[in-house]
Amino acid sequence: MIEFTNYDILRNLLFATQWTIVLSFAAFIGGSSVALALTALRLTRNATVQKVVRIYVELFQGTPLLMQMFLCFFGLSMLGYEISAWGAAILSLTLFTSAFLVEIWRGCIDTLPKGQREASRCLGLSFLQTLRYIILPQAIRVATPPTVGFSVQVIKGTALASVIGFVELTKVGTMLNNATFEPFKVFTLVALIYFLLCYPLSWYSKTLEKKFNVSR
Amino acid sequence: MLYFSDLLQYSDVFFSGLMTTVLLTVLTTFLGIALGTSCAAIRQYGNKASQSVVAVYVEIIRNTPFIVQLFFIFFGLPSLGMKLSPWEASMIALTINLGAYSTEIIRAGLGSISKGQMEAAKVLGLSFCQTLTRVIFTPAFEKIYPALTSQCIIVMLGSAVISQISVEDLTYAANLVQSRNFRAFESYFVTALLYLGLSILLRFAFNTVGKRLFAYRSTQ
Amino acid sequence: MKRFIKLVSKAMIIIAGFSVFNATADVLQDIQGRKLIRIAVPQDFPPFGSIGTDLKPQGIDVDMANYIADEMGVKIEIVPVTSANRIPYLQTKKVDLVISSLGKNPEREKAIDFSTPYAPFFLGVFGSKDVEVTKIEDLAGKIVGVTRGSVEDLELEKHAPKSVNVRRFEDNNTTLTAYLSGQVNLIATGNLVATEIAKRQPQRAPESKFMLKDSPCYIGMAEGEVALQAKVNELINKALASGKLNNISMEWLKAPLPKGFGV
Repeated sequence: MIEFTNYDILRNLLFATQWTIVLSFAAFIGGSSVALALTALRLTRNATVQKVVRIYVELFQGTPLLMQMFLCFFGLSMLGYEISAWGAAILSLTLFTSAFLVEIWRGCIDTLPKGQREASRCLGLSFLQTLRYIILPQAIRVATPPTVGFSVQVIKGTALASVIGFVELTKVGTMLNNATFEPFKVFTLVALIYFLLCYPLSWYSKTLEKKFNVSR
Repeated sequence: MLYFSDLLQYSDVFFSGLMTTVLLTVLTTFLGIALGTSCAAIRQYGNKASQSVVAVYVEIIRNTPFIVQLFFIFFGLPSLGMKLSPWEASMIALTINLGAYSTEIIRAGLGSISKGQMEAAKVLGLSFCQTLTRVIFTPAFEKIYPALTSQCIIVMLGSAVISQISVEDLTYAANLVQSRNFRAFESYFVTALLYLGLSILLRFAFNTVGKRLFAYRSTQ
Repeated sequence: MKRFIKLVSKAMIIIAGFSVFNATADVLQDIQGRKLIRIAVPQDFPPFGSIGTDLKPQGIDVDMANYIADEMGVKIEIVPVTSANRIPYLQTKKVDLVISSLGKNPEREKAIDFSTPYAPFFLGVFGSKDVEVTKIEDLAGKIVGVTRGSVEDLELEKHAPKSVNVRRFEDNNTTLTAYLSGQVNLIATGNLVATEIAKRQPQRAPESKFMLKDSPCYIGMAEGEVALQAKVNELINKALASGKLNNISMEWLKAPLPKGFGV
């Protein structure tokens, strides 16, 4: 029979944490790229494009992340596309992250006075120039705190990848729990590691928000 | 290639799963908001010690994944002698989760009510209870109503995870059907649509209720 | 509608930057072509497959998988699966073979193909000593934990009284944890799994209540892969004749194969 020492448990959990971090990064980068493209599309004021973006947001905010993962993992394969647990996890987390970020960023852009956009158009700036020199610099400042705050949701979202068999922190937690039969210890440690990953981000987001409110 | 008709014979499984999800959502929405309101009140008006207890609770829940919280409650607590049924464990986990998020949201609402309002209410001779319900809570809730209700919808969608501890909710139905007829895509696709419908319906219900709740605005 | 879904999913994959390719027909040729066989094994089902301190699976199924790969002269990729998702893994060609204490039943035979058996297995209901159960009718009104989609799950559904409260969990891990944490006091599972729990946690040692079914383990493969099926059967028969299967049984089960097994 195999004996797991406390050191073994912790070592394996920390090893798995790497994958949680890698997956979070990948999802966050993927999600924000897609969200950036969608946000730009949304600013074009084309009614059809806006509708499509709205449906996209509705679709991925209105269904459980777990369901999206199942669909990506088993659903896509049933349609004949091969996808690994890793690919399915990134794909569904990207869709999920982008749907929320688009909404968050839209809110941020909406706080900028509309007059600025109109004024810059009057001054002869092109759409892209307006975006680059007028909207982006201001929007980034407003958008940073909620975006950092949302990254916590992404990290927590990666926990669901355990259900489709991606070996990350939660999955290794359940595996270790089965090998050691010490659920209390294992899940406390798992929760603690997640907390250590997420809390600094939450804290940073709050600090930024406060700083921003003061300077305004 | 796709056989949605294979799902028809399982429609009662899907239906009972849907009902479980709806029931759990309704219950946890009420309990969670009640918990959040009391914690927010403590956070805003309580003493230092109780404030920090609430702060620790909120931060722990907000910074750990729901599935880990659920496993902890269902599998971890029995070793401390607290045995909960899957239903109880999910109810508690969902309530605690929504409670933590709504604490933060409601607190922001309470913070937006200026002290002058309360003083004015006192001067006008309103009782403490009247001040609390009419001057503080109603306008505070009106401000944060959209944020609060979308959090409720997020929790409803997050409840998909409770299928992992054998609660027979909508996701459980999808997994069960999938394990019986091996039609994974069809069963997950239909379930995703049901969730989508549910969240749209829920938003509609919240909006309707919101209009009634804050109707005093239009009569002014 | 179908085309639309396909289109959307294709677009999503391209956005995410994943390569898309359709699986080809003959899996045996594929395996020999890429010099790699992907085999699904359990990692939560001792003694068939469970993790060591390095998190790598080990057990009967893992030994069997290595044997098949060696004999075919190809490299092996071990894919850990749960009992709920092992058949979708096979159907969706994420793996070539499932060696995961897989039992045979009519529902599964509609979806996948099986080899000849490679290990003995008996399904039963097990539970703590204080629960009075001796036959399936006694389960009425009791709570029984089981892994969703397993043979024992289907057996319970078919034969157990309607009033039995079946709690279905996602994988064996969760089912075992539910039993060990006291969330359920009866579980339906394999005799060997119950023995393994008893070894690890003597104070919660499950007692055998009654047998559900004799359900030896088969290797699963995608439907219609005749060449692969013939090859796998040939290798199993060879292992049986050479005493290899018996050795595996001796190592993990501490008992020889039952007389007449596989004949």
